[in-house]
Amino acid sequence: MKTNQMAVKAAEYEIITLPSGLTVQVRPMPGYSSVHAVYGTDFGSIDRFFTVDGKKVVVPEGTAHFLEHKMFESDEGDAFSLYAKTGAQANAFTSFEKTCYIFTATSQIDESLDVLLGMVGKPYFTEQTIAKEQGIIGQEIKMYDDSPDWRMLTESMRCLYSAHPIRDDIAGTVESIAQITPEMLYDCCKAFYRPGSMVLSVAGNVTKEQVLAACARAGLDKPVQQAPKVERLMPADCAGVAQSSSTLYMPVAKPCFALAYKEKPVEFGDTRRAILCDMISELICGGMTPLYRRLYDSGLVNPEFDGDFMSVRGAGCFMFSGESNEPEKVEQMIWDEIERLRREGVDEETFTLCKNQSYGSLITDLGNVEDTAGAMNAAFMKGRTLSDEIAALASLTKQDADEALQTMLLRENCAVVHIYPAEA
Amino acid sequence: MERKQIGNGAYITVLDSQKFNRCRITLHFQFPANREQATAAAVLPLVLERGYADCPDMTELSRRLAKLYGADLAVDNAVNGGNRILTVEIVGICDPFALEGENLTQEYLKIALGVAFDPYLVNGVFDPEAVQIEKATLAQRLEAEINDKRGYCVRQARRKFYGSSKAGIERDGYLEELPALDAAALKRVYDEILRTATVDVMVQGANAQLVEKAVLQRLSSIDRAPAALEPATLMPRQECRHYTETFSDLVQAKLCMLFAASETLNGEKLEANRLAMALFGGSVTSRLFLNVREKQSLCYYCGSSAGVMGGVMMVDSGVEPKNAAKAEQAILHELDQLLHGPITDEELEDCRRGILSGMESVEDTLSGVENWYYMQICRGEQLCSPAESRRRLLAVTKEQVRQVLAGYSLSVSYLVTAKEDAQ
Repeated sequence: MKTNQMAVKAAEYEIITLPSGLTVQVRPMPGYSSVHAVYGTDFGSIDRFFTVDGKKVVVPEGTAHFLEHKMFESDEGDAFSLYAKTGAQANAFTSFEKTCYIFTATSQIDESLDVLLGMVGKPYFTEQTIAKEQGIIGQEIKMYDDSPDWRMLTESMRCLYSAHPIRDDIAGTVESIAQITPEMLYDCCKAFYRPGSMVLSVAGNVTKEQVLAACARAGLDKPVQQAPKVERLMPADCAGVAQSSSTLYMPVAKPCFALAYKEKPVEFGDTRRAILCDMISELICGGMTPLYRRLYDSGLVNPEFDGDFMSVRGAGCFMFSGESNEPEKVEQMIWDEIERLRREGVDEETFTLCKNQSYGSLITDLGNVEDTAGAMNAAFMKGRTLSDEIAALASLTKQDADEALQTMLLRENCAVVHIYPAEA
Repeated sequence: MERKQIGNGAYITVLDSQKFNRCRITLHFQFPANREQATAAAVLPLVLERGYADCPDMTELSRRLAKLYGADLAVDNAVNGGNRILTVEIVGICDPFALEGENLTQEYLKIALGVAFDPYLVNGVFDPEAVQIEKATLAQRLEAEINDKRGYCVRQARRKFYGSSKAGIERDGYLEELPALDAAALKRVYDEILRTATVDVMVQGANAQLVEKAVLQRLSSIDRAPAALEPATLMPRQECRHYTETFSDLVQAKLCMLFAASETLNGEKLEANRLAMALFGGSVTSRLFLNVREKQSLCYYCGSSAGVMGGVMMVDSGVEPKNAAKAEQAILHELDQLLHGPITDEELEDCRRGILSGMESVEDTLSGVENWYYMQICRGEQLCSPAESRRRLLAVTKEQVRQVLAGYSLSVSYLVTAKEDAQ
């Protein structure tokens, strides 16, 4: 694949590491009105076991997500009310391996940056505020309990992994979050909310100087006196899948299915493999493939049928999921297609088209303020830049995909999950 | 920005898109909702999206879009009060980003026009096999409606609210009518839409003259007779009707409350309505968020929104089954407090700032810009920029907010809850 100099230039942005250890990424976007900032830490729901300065810490399921909620509170009040004074729209999210705090604003950018850096920099927890949050998060957990897609994801991970915390729901359970204490939250902050493990990514109508000045106001331009020593502990998992199948019953109209494959996670900074894995599910069952056409035209799947790859610290998986009245038939067709591709190799033209599609998607991110900041932040957490992604994509060949298929998506690493309609 | 009439009931709007690295061409076909044609109108987008005369095969079309660096083609139908909108849109990266120097924009135009005006036909009607497949797809979607309980609750509430009025005609058609729908009937409905719809072409980043010429050429072969569009819907005020539907194993109940509007909002009242929604339940500084969610922990989500063309204000929430009645009372109490209690300057200004900021960022996405103007077209308004609306919003007073909110009266309350917790 050729490279387009305009795209290469568009993907460039400044990355600065401050004396405190904080990484700052800034991409000014001329002509845009808004600014989007993402302040993230590589602390997610799977980080349940770690040591901080030699002290072993074990936290219940859902702690990272709980902490995300609590970060909006300080002894000065809640961050939403501070953002309300700047007009910024703020939010946050927690995934398996990171927590991000975000805002979008068109004015009072300096003030909004101050709120963002201040809320994460000054944790404030009491027994009372924790108890209050347990009610709200309990409701959130219950909302996810009714979502077939969410239940499918969690159950698939439970089938693939015996001990890795990817088995746990990101939000935890009503029971697990009841065990959270202020001390646990302070330990998590000490370990993972220090500047050295955080990255601030800002894009849009903003300058590098503006962002660095905000960091300086928050004291992030100075060296940290003594950074704590942190070690993540990940429980050893079984070699194969924990269980090869599982069935749930829920109030759904028709059966839902998932084929999940346990895979080696992508190493930090291995951009080629990460992009290749993202392409592989598309090569198997994307809209351009004969398999998708057969499944769709025979009414076995609907447009929601999808294949995805996911990689976190210590765990990886492919997952093909959808709704079908004949899930077993769909599963057999996916297995057969994977075997065929392993035997015959992927179609050269389809591979090139997939690359084209991925290139278009990378360019698309660069034209949107929110997507740009989000993509910069996500790339950093994976040990790469957006330019690395464009370069890695350009270097991938059909042979890479053929080779990968020899070691991935093996039947013995596969688990099947079904959700059937519960009685009304 | 300019909206120009180019033919009988046909318009083109060219929007500034210089800063973007993608371009977008959209064709909107707006027509009055018709109960008899609803199911065909729901199948139509699915069939059109499969391909067109020059590229009849669905997989081949997917590959063509991938070759254009993953251009997005979408064909959809939407509700606008008593009218329906069939939309064909294509979005893709701009020519300078192409790796082989291709003229991408020209290809986007070919595909969008092909899908909208030159469908793949077999003996003068849609391909019967494609129609059969897409009927099955739609049937699956309709049968799976209950999977998403939040959306299901809202749709059920709307069904009760609109009854048999035009605004209540199902966007996704009627399951029981699908078996009888054939390719010829579908073609008749398609022809009727092309003949009677008001056509709005929105162009961002493509050669507008080329688009205009090509659209006019296609329209010239159609015996156009645009139908008068339905005015905004206003449902009669009535005593609130409560409905409860139960499911086994449901963990969180869903509550949807629909309020009838007393008048069609326009001009300054639209901006007052924006502010009213932000204050009542449309923001994190709203009464519903701060009091019903945060202080009383009665629901995980609880928000309000208003549909001007549908004459409705909606509050939907996810609640603990045993707290449903309490949550409904708390929501009504907050509305009452806004109408009769104090509104502080601080909360009003907090909400106003949030909306102003949102309005300013509208112009940072292609879809944001297009939706901003097309929504005004749908409401039959004079087009005004986000900057103009911001100026009007700055002048909205507490009294205007109260007046707008006083115009809504609760008409339907629909609860989807766990069987074991139902009264």
